Amino acid sequence: MTGSRVGDSPNRVGGIDRVTGAQQYLADLPVADALHAKLVTLDCARARILGIDASEALALPGVHLVMTADDLPTPMPRYGPQNQDRPVLAVGETKYHGDPVALVVADTRELAEAAARLVRVEHEELPAVFTVAGALAPDAPLVQDPSLRPGDRLAGGNVLTEHRVGWGDVDAEAARAHVIVEGRYTFPMVTHFAIEPHAFMAAPDGDGLAVWSTIQHPNWLQKLIAGLVRMPLSKVRVYAPDPGGGFGGKQHTKHEPAVVFAALKVGRAVRLVLTLEESFQAARRTACESRVRTGFDRDGRILFQDIEADYLIGAYADIADRVVGKGSYPAAGPYTIPAVRILARSILSHTVPSTAFRGFGNPQINWAVESTLDEGAKALGMDRLQIRLRNLARKGDRFIPFDTPCDGDWEQTVRLAAERIGWGTPLPAGRGRGIALGIKSGPTTGLSYSIVRLLVDGSVVVYAGTSDMGQGARTVLAQIASQELGAPLDWVTVVMGDTAVVPYDQQTSASRSTVLMGNSVLAACRDIQGKLRTMAARLHAVDEADVVVDAGLVRLPDGRRLTPVEVLKPGFGKLGGELTGLGEARKDADPGHPLGGAPAFFEFNCTVIEAEVDRETGDVTIDRHITVSDVGKAINPLQVRMQDEGAAIMGLGHTLMEHYIFDERGRIRNLGAIDYRIPTSMDLPRELHSEAVENADGPGPYGAKGMSEGALLCVAPAVAAAVREATGAQIRDLPLTPERVWRAINEAADAAERGEAGS
Amino acid sequence: MIANVPIEVTVNGARRAVDVAPNHTLLDVLRDDLALTGAKECCLVGECGACTVIVDGRTVDSCLVLAVEADGSEILTVEGLADRGVLSPLQIAFLDEGAVQCGFCIPGQLLSAHVLLEEHPHPTQAEIEEGMAGNLCRCACYEQIFDAIRTTADGGDR
Amino acid sequence: MHTFAYARPTSLAEAVAILESHGQDARVLAGGTDLIVRLRDGSVSPVIVVDVKRIAELRPGIRETDGCVVIGATTVMTDVAADPLVRRHFPALAEAAAVVGSVQIRNRATLAGNICNASPAADTSPSLLVHGASVVAEGPGGTRRIPVDDLFVRSGVTTLVRGELVTAIELPIPERRIASVHTRRTRRRGHDLASVTLTCGVDTAGITRIAYGSVGPRPVLRLDATGILADPTSSEEARAAIFERIFADASPSVRSMRAGPEYRLAMLRVLGRRALATAQERLATGEPA
Repeated sequence: MTGSRVGDSPNRVGGIDRVTGAQQYLADLPVADALHAKLVTLDCARARILGIDASEALALPGVHLVMTADDLPTPMPRYGPQNQDRPVLAVGETKYHGDPVALVVADTRELAEAAARLVRVEHEELPAVFTVAGALAPDAPLVQDPSLRPGDRLAGGNVLTEHRVGWGDVDAEAARAHVIVEGRYTFPMVTHFAIEPHAFMAAPDGDGLAVWSTIQHPNWLQKLIAGLVRMPLSKVRVYAPDPGGGFGGKQHTKHEPAVVFAALKVGRAVRLVLTLEESFQAARRTACESRVRTGFDRDGRILFQDIEADYLIGAYADIADRVVGKGSYPAAGPYTIPAVRILARSILSHTVPSTAFRGFGNPQINWAVESTLDEGAKALGMDRLQIRLRNLARKGDRFIPFDTPCDGDWEQTVRLAAERIGWGTPLPAGRGRGIALGIKSGPTTGLSYSIVRLLVDGSVVVYAGTSDMGQGARTVLAQIASQELGAPLDWVTVVMGDTAVVPYDQQTSASRSTVLMGNSVLAACRDIQGKLRTMAARLHAVDEADVVVDAGLVRLPDGRRLTPVEVLKPGFGKLGGELTGLGEARKDADPGHPLGGAPAFFEFNCTVIEAEVDRETGDVTIDRHITVSDVGKAINPLQVRMQDEGAAIMGLGHTLMEHYIFDERGRIRNLGAIDYRIPTSMDLPRELHSEAVENADGPGPYGAKGMSEGALLCVAPAVAAAVREATGAQIRDLPLTPERVWRAINEAADAAERGEAGS
Repeated sequence: MIANVPIEVTVNGARRAVDVAPNHTLLDVLRDDLALTGAKECCLVGECGACTVIVDGRTVDSCLVLAVEADGSEILTVEGLADRGVLSPLQIAFLDEGAVQCGFCIPGQLLSAHVLLEEHPHPTQAEIEEGMAGNLCRCACYEQIFDAIRTTADGGDR
Repeated sequence: MHTFAYARPTSLAEAVAILESHGQDARVLAGGTDLIVRLRDGSVSPVIVVDVKRIAELRPGIRETDGCVVIGATTVMTDVAADPLVRRHFPALAEAAAVVGSVQIRNRATLAGNICNASPAADTSPSLLVHGASVVAEGPGGTRRIPVDDLFVRSGVTTLVRGELVTAIELPIPERRIASVHTRRTRRRGHDLASVTLTCGVDTAGITRIAYGSVGPRPVLRLDATGILADPTSSEEARAAIFERIFADASPSVRSMRAGPEYRLAMLRVLGRRALATAQERLATGEPA
């Protein structure tokens, strides 16, 4: 593809290495003398550790270390992005299937694996809770010891936090509602399944420490490790090679602390590359069981939403409680509603710690709320598109009081999606359509620094702490620099993933990077433009105020247009030199806001599905999948399409096939790729169409908003609605496996035969 | 202690002699002994295709091939697709069509597409979907990968 | 992966001798798509792995001999699926071979390996049963021909004895054409282990053979010689009664995470009806040929 400016779709920066095999992911890095590590885990959800005998493992030649809790400081160092609840290694008790009790370090990976099998862990399996009901049962074992939750009134139970949001008087609205519908919905545990499993490495580095991780937030990891090993930040250097897919699963620290302690003990580099199975045990999406009650007036206006959502988080909080709080906050949807009451609870369980996952906590609740809206439309005899348009917030509406107002022409997005599918046109028998809207709050706080260097030949180096895990941040940031400083894209280098070189960035999450880091790089470029202006004014003896630098050109008052090089070369003279720009984009916290800040933008999406159902087998075929997102401005339209379509297909995964399956003792039965199914090239919609609405009304560079999660928010409710229209079967549990759809069709048919109202 | 077995393979046109442990896979040997890390490790059960390489003209999951089995065979890995630094039309099409996001699955995707186009110079949609089903892409660039395959097919050679 | 010795015999006699001397401690390596997974997960830990791909007598290939199509033991699924003889005489087998795993898997997995593993879910087993296939086994006692129906005992267990190695699969070319079709149920359209597999063959004499798998410890073959199933004009009720008899031996596990027993049993009937309709159509039109 041609062009390198904003709005073009140049080839991915770093793309060539990705098609030649030269791109080095963490497991590929050649590190001389690195030792290999392997986790020791127990085949149970929860167990009391009675003793660990590592003598046989240590007797193998080439085994350097079997590190257990006993080898670590007392009290056991704990960490976590929200609560410091996660031990470096299990101490006393394992809390979930996969919770490591030891780390083996050996000369080869094979040896480490063999030694790990020889570590004898005497243990007693204990009862575990791995469902909402189990965790809330009166006699449920406590997942976290109350000593980890000092001063917490909920510490006597497995509810970690209750998040309440609301406005208006729900009970009063309910009293005057014409129709009230209520439904219970479940969303299972699913996992990121990045094709690159998580990997970590650590090594002593002079008088400091070097840490490599597939992490999305290198600066956060740096701070966490520095705290654990009591070193200054300047002595902890985190390398974060581009992850091979993140999707949120690589945001936060997983087993890096164990690897760091091991590397310090053996005094050498130690690398731990997880298997896919271990990655399933390292990160997953928060499951959710929700009850939604929605009331309407005669005309289909939503009068109230009463939402209770029980999110099942894991044994340690990771970032899951934020997932719950932030994900449930806009649960009532992009609608203007007089009264809303939301209660979301984070519930601890003896399961894999859940974490961020594309869409955060929104897809779980959007599944329930959008489906309930359809139930309301049905009860009212209203069209499902019309009921949404009737209630949809218009630009500037404070649809969530005291929050960021509606920041886009959302109606335009909805109408475009509906038009593309031909909403309202007749359908062949056996097919149905479904529509769903979704919003997700963008980042509520943020801080991104960047450095941009304009070199004397006009080429550019950008230093940005964003992680490019496939979303294309490197390309977008290079395009911004290219746009502002005039260098062609292949003259721009973007340096990322090294905390010793790249300035601080808070994190790569919440689809923030185009907006926050984009603004930061833009500011750095503008800083350079100011210096160019000064230099040009000096060289040409004109008033600085009369020099304009724009779109990579320097314009003098006499109309002459100079390239940056035509200013830099004479400006620097024989000594050479470069211009350096500093960028900062900041979104400060608002302590008065329930989320700590109002979102920088909303991701808004409308998805419309046309599906065909085989009534005899329950197979769902997606004939048409239309996804439209409000992106403000597509800095790289091809990448926008790739992200939206990728999110859409990922959404089809959790909608149709993905879920953890547990045995009766809380062990995951379908660990690994054989029985955890994700979409292949044969599981796509017959027609997948994505479009972006661009009104340049976002807070990012050139009016961009964050995007890449929106297209996932609506898939499940839209598909289930299409299935219902095709078959009459209302399904409230995911995934919509053939068996589940078949069962629902039969139940609906039985109910119809008994003359019951359609359930 | 079980002795290593000497094998000879031709990798990307070059003869390579290497002593391998019987329990090491072709993936292990490519990555660890021959420093060809383009083949990636993910599922290790032949489901994801990240480790795909071409052995004697056919794609295999190199995680499910013992290195000793490959003795005497001709192997093409992603590192061998470009010709002295010049990208193949398929590699160019992958970039042009936006088929590459995180890139981790791409070596395997390219090799599957390479053989697909050898066997079906003008593949149908069904042939593409079936031919590429052994290579998972979680970024889900499937449509763009299809576009790249079609573009390459339309452009003649690979 | 555990360590093990590797043997690469070049003659059948050598292979049989190794297998006989090591017994349970030896594992045959053909395509490896199942074995290497199990070596890695530790569910098997042989002392020696015997690679049979360099045995002169076991060269891959499909040929017609004495009224049979003979498929060499190292022939991979890709070649079975594409072979003109197989496609002409045993269309269901070609279809079954074409849905085993992905392209990469089919380029390695052998037909012999698929049945020797005796997985109840093996895709090719029902087709081999419907088409009356036998395996040719070479062992210390000489050569045996074992009908595939007599080979399976239960998951992972066959009637092969110590030292015995399958050298080929023989399928008799039917005197009367058998129009056959392979069907299956999976959790997604992309490659997957089947929760039900079923092959239906209808011949010109009106005999219908139905074999099904993944709904019990081993695949099951049943015949309908009444002509009712083969007759496109027979009543739904009459057919349903025969299907009930045919499927009476299905006993899907309640433990499977791929599908529940109720669904599997229901799908057996759906697949049976659909496969029968396709087979009848193929018989009438002569397609595919």
